[in-house]
Amino acid sequence: MNNFKKKTGRWLLGLCFAIGLIACEDTVEYTSSPRENFEALWQILDENYCFFEYKEVDWDEVHDRYEHQIVDTMDQFALFDVLGDMLAELKDGHTNLSSPFDMSRYWAWYEDYPDNFDEKILENYLGTDYRIAGGMRYRTLADEQVGYIYYPSFSSGVGETNLDYILYQFKDCMGLIIDIRNNGGGVLTYSDRIAARFIEGSLLTGYIQHKTGPGHDEFSEPYALTLAATEGHTLWYRPVIVLTNRQCYSSANDFVQAMRLLPQVRTMGDKTGGGSGFPYNSELPNGWLVRFSASRTLGVDYEQLEFGIEPDIPIAMKETDADAGKDTILETAIQLLLTAQGDPARLPAKK
Amino acid sequence: MKRFAFLLLLIVGTCGLRAQSPDEGIPNSVNAATLVGAGRYNIMDTYLSPGSRVNYQGWALRVMDERMRFTRLADGHISRQHILQIDFSSLLNPAGTLREYAGFIDYTLGYHYHFRPAPSLTLLAGGGLHALVGGIYNMQSSNNPGSAKADLDLRLSGLALYRFHIKRLPLLLRLQVQVPFAGILFSPHYGQSYYEIFQLGNSSGVVKFASFHNKWALQTFATIDIPLPRLTIRTGFAGSLYHLKVNGIESHLNSCYFMLGIVKEFITVGGKRSRAGLNYRSAYE
Repeated sequence: MNNFKKKTGRWLLGLCFAIGLIACEDTVEYTSSPRENFEALWQILDENYCFFEYKEVDWDEVHDRYEHQIVDTMDQFALFDVLGDMLAELKDGHTNLSSPFDMSRYWAWYEDYPDNFDEKILENYLGTDYRIAGGMRYRTLADEQVGYIYYPSFSSGVGETNLDYILYQFKDCMGLIIDIRNNGGGVLTYSDRIAARFIEGSLLTGYIQHKTGPGHDEFSEPYALTLAATEGHTLWYRPVIVLTNRQCYSSANDFVQAMRLLPQVRTMGDKTGGGSGFPYNSELPNGWLVRFSASRTLGVDYEQLEFGIEPDIPIAMKETDADAGKDTILETAIQLLLTAQGDPARLPAKK
Repeated sequence: MKRFAFLLLLIVGTCGLRAQSPDEGIPNSVNAATLVGAGRYNIMDTYLSPGSRVNYQGWALRVMDERMRFTRLADGHISRQHILQIDFSSLLNPAGTLREYAGFIDYTLGYHYHFRPAPSLTLLAGGGLHALVGGIYNMQSSNNPGSAKADLDLRLSGLALYRFHIKRLPLLLRLQVQVPFAGILFSPHYGQSYYEIFQLGNSSGVVKFASFHNKWALQTFATIDIPLPRLTIRTGFAGSLYHLKVNGIESHLNSCYFMLGIVKEFITVGGKRSRAGLNYRSAYE
């Protein structure tokens, strides 16, 4: 029995040692060191960012250029600015660094372009007695001949019942305007849900690819994105015009990508801002949060959509119209729908 | 790991053991214990923090229900053990700026053969089926805020029950180790979103065979039963290591709990057996 106790004791000791070895993994510990946080951020992007090749960004060269700006004595505000500048090299609206005191961002995709939208002018069309459902503001225009929906954010949850009621409201209209100008995106599910009301059968809208490893060119096989018409609910096959501007980003970009493929739909206004990367979050050893594009969406011809989608009908807001309280883009859309008289074939040709 | 499993069998097999013999006519009782625990969890998951192996730590609570009784298998030498554990934990990153919550339901159905190498010692060797479901949720992330865990495995299990006295108080010490060796589990691919898996339906390869090449797990229990005048208290420690490296994603869930609860023996009495008095045969002694 004593011999047995000794043996058992030895094995228990061995077991504790093995458990200790496993528990001692190489994990990230807290550090405020500027250099370690710089390296951590660079590595997170290096292994997971999905547009290095498409954007022709030499990330190693970026490392070497910014490394010289990192000094051990710099404070957290200076470090944040350098790291934010490094991320801006990616020219990606989905890429941000968030600290308790600031969020770095790249917004040049719309800041460098005309607004092509004025919410005050829109009030001249919406008035005050419009309806709101699922985040959509809607009413009829042009003597109830045209339906109008303004959807400012894909973060606003729109349900199937919301869409049924909205489309029913427009049952006597010849056409429909879906205005998503200044819509910076949100939830892809809502983008898909709305687009599915305009599809007949099913539609290939593009492809998605995720990273399969840390290499810049390691991607999964493109996986087809298909949307099917929402069975048992109201569908819409009369003419539709989707209004866009440079602030249409992320899910709004995906919505435009799906809608522009439909025969009864025309997109109008300015090019979208893009944002076809699916963003992920990670974090630095000092607790700052980083967001970046991790997987990418491609068009039906495998084309990149990251820098936006050109409209079928390019048109800009005229200053003279704006001064008169008129929205050039919206006015033109109304006229085109009235001219089409409910027949998609009478809309201007697709681009 | 293989070495450990082998050692466990070796201990059982080399000690000149005798199987514990069942007593005829004595009903088998159910040894039932319900315990609550408080402890620490630490979690690392590169799905939640890609490219950065951030270790979250925090407090954890557990509720555990354990039942054990002899079966009719192998002439009554094999017992069945159910262990159900529900865990909840709240964790912070090393900088203390980001919070995660984690919750898991863990169930094991085990069967053990009983040996009695010495009057005060019972050794149990066997295996079982184990299931784990749950997930981790990071409060600040947007598109990758959660990491779901679903795991089904077969495992080896070894258990030692040692009876001793401190003064006149009879105590029962239990040491138990469980090690999974084969199973299946769910894991997204490196960089793959749940949107792509569940909404778009690209679920190819998200269920994987798991063994020592991609999963290393261990569950331990070290408890002691203390009989009081009206009830028996069970207290001790429960530890768990759970390490995965699947589809390019690494994660670990490590926990250690201090457990406290009560134990009762249940017997079903009816018909002729009702005259057999209160004598019973427990699988946990």
